[in-house]
Amino acid sequence: MEAIILDHVGKTFSCGKRAVDSVSLSLEEGEVFGFLGPNGAGKTTTVKLLNGMLMPTEGTCKVFDMDPAEEPEKVHACSGVVTEHAQMYDTMTGLQNLVFYGTVFGLNAAESEKRGRQLLKQMELEEAADRKLSTYSTGMRQRLSLARALVHEPRILFLDEPTSGLDPESARNVHVMIRRLAEEKGITVFLCTHQLRYAQEICTRYGLMDQGRLLAEGTLEDFRKKQGSGITVEIEADGMPEGLACRRITPVRFEVRVRTREEIPEIVQRILTAGKRIYHISSCQPSLEDIYFALTKNGKENREEKEL
Amino acid sequence: MNTQMLAVIKKDLRGITSNRRMVITLLIVPLVMTVFLPTVFVFIPYLAPEQGEDFRGMVEMLPLAETGEGMHKSMIRLILNYILPVFFLIIPIMSSCVMSASSFVGEKEKRTLETLLYSPLSVKQIFTAKVMASLLLSMSVSLLSFLAMLVVLETETWLITGSIVMPDGKWLIIMLLVAPAVSLTAITLTVRVSARAKSVEDAQQGAAFLLMPVVLLLAGQFMGILLVSAWLLILVGILCALCGIWLLKKSMYGFQYEALL
Ligand SMILES: Nc1ncnc2c1ncn2[C@@H]1O[C@H](COP(=O)(O)OP(=O)(O)OP(=O)(O)O)[C@@H](O)[C@H]1O
Ligand SMILES: [Mg+2]
Repeated sequence: MEAIILDHVGKTFSCGKRAVDSVSLSLEEGEVFGFLGPNGAGKTTTVKLLNGMLMPTEGTCKVFDMDPAEEPEKVHACSGVVTEHAQMYDTMTGLQNLVFYGTVFGLNAAESEKRGRQLLKQMELEEAADRKLSTYSTGMRQRLSLARALVHEPRILFLDEPTSGLDPESARNVHVMIRRLAEEKGITVFLCTHQLRYAQEICTRYGLMDQGRLLAEGTLEDFRKKQGSGITVEIEADGMPEGLACRRITPVRFEVRVRTREEIPEIVQRILTAGKRIYHISSCQPSLEDIYFALTKNGKENREEKEL
Repeated sequence: MNTQMLAVIKKDLRGITSNRRMVITLLIVPLVMTVFLPTVFVFIPYLAPEQGEDFRGMVEMLPLAETGEGMHKSMIRLILNYILPVFFLIIPIMSSCVMSASSFVGEKEKRTLETLLYSPLSVKQIFTAKVMASLLLSMSVSLLSFLAMLVVLETETWLITGSIVMPDGKWLIIMLLVAPAVSLTAITLTVRVSARAKSVEDAQQGAAFLLMPVVLLLAGQFMGILLVSAWLLILVGILCALCGIWLLKKSMYGFQYEALL
């Protein structure tokens, strides 16, 4: 069953701004989807459309076969949302907040308290459980928001920049946790983020937005194939056989570009056959970041061409 | 009404009672209206004999004096049953304004409303829960104020005249019908004003500006109504309730996800 379906969804604000432009997308249950794009690309707007906070001006969205524009309450019942604008109550303690949201999501008082304590522990907020939220730091608030989004054991998580304001260690912990949730509980994750390095580690698939349009969508492999940039192999050897196309970086370091992994052993064989010695070899594929920049640059160039 | 809405109501009420500034704001007006004012009225004949003469004139004009009752006791009857109700109505109006300003604008201002909107409660249910919380607070403050006022007034009356003066049946109509109806109207007007307000203070001031002229205008009329008959009072209460409900429906229509974010 598809967790999310976007069918030619568009959103034009009343001021005339076209924030989302005919986006079509579908997510299987259990996927961790990285929704990427520069500021103002329309990521947050898409999340709001998927939660029924905004009405699409064209097209339809579905979350587990429910239309958020028609029955937002049902969508909310099975989804957890973290956005930077969704804050909690400063005058209540961390635990009180979680218990309140637990009750609002239909748990009884005892269940919410149990669940709240368990999540506080998971988020390393045990010591702060009985402190008022007004004494929390940005990172602690952010982690509590995550706990809040998980309090009713949702089937899908919408995370809009969940690690903004977190220190590197907490950011890593949060990412590890997201991946674990997806792996162990099969929770679908819709993750808007600017942290491409972590996105590459935890996401199963990506969508790249720019100016309201979905520029590209697929797995990292898909992107790499489409770009055709291949693999860069760095070899440290005391020489290269004649006729092997390579780029000399230093007298003993060479860079060879291949299309597939299968070519690497062949090259090694050729070097050895030529009587050269290899000291080090490493291969590297374009990272998500490289692809992101390449794609957004393409987008920009296309736009500029159109304007000319 | 379900437990989820109850949780929202409880949270809203706790939000008010745990805020010292709010509690003080909520207590000062009722204290003035139910302790200070009655005391001043009761002691006027002693403190300012000329004003006391005016009262005497009013008492003689109205069919108040029961046979064998002293002039002072009749005067207290006049105060309790015809003058204090007018001032008393300010209490539900004020407390529902304070509460609804904090629970509607306050949440928006502190960015907690969006979180609440992501809950499985519908916008209508959230709206209803918030109106209920305001109504509940306003009614409890009113009831407590009424009891406080009775205790103060009766103690003073007993000290002066040696017996007590019973509040008449119109108080029942006021407490059960007029006060909730007036609160409802005040809540919806505050919600109205707060849609445009940027902060809680803004909303409270806006609502106060809106309500005060109305209150002053109606106060004089209200005393007249009290004098005429209980039926007219019921009619006025019902009209006010209908007006409140109509306004509520209209505000509820404006309470939508897209308009709130
Ligand atoms: N309520 C609104 N009214 C008018 N325009 C809006 C509104 N909300 C967002 N926009 C515009 O829509 C565009 C997309 O905004 P959105 O918040 O979805 O971007 P984003 O991808 O989340 O960016 P960021 O990475 O900065 O969070 C922006 O140009 C923004 O100015
Ligand atoms: Mg955003």
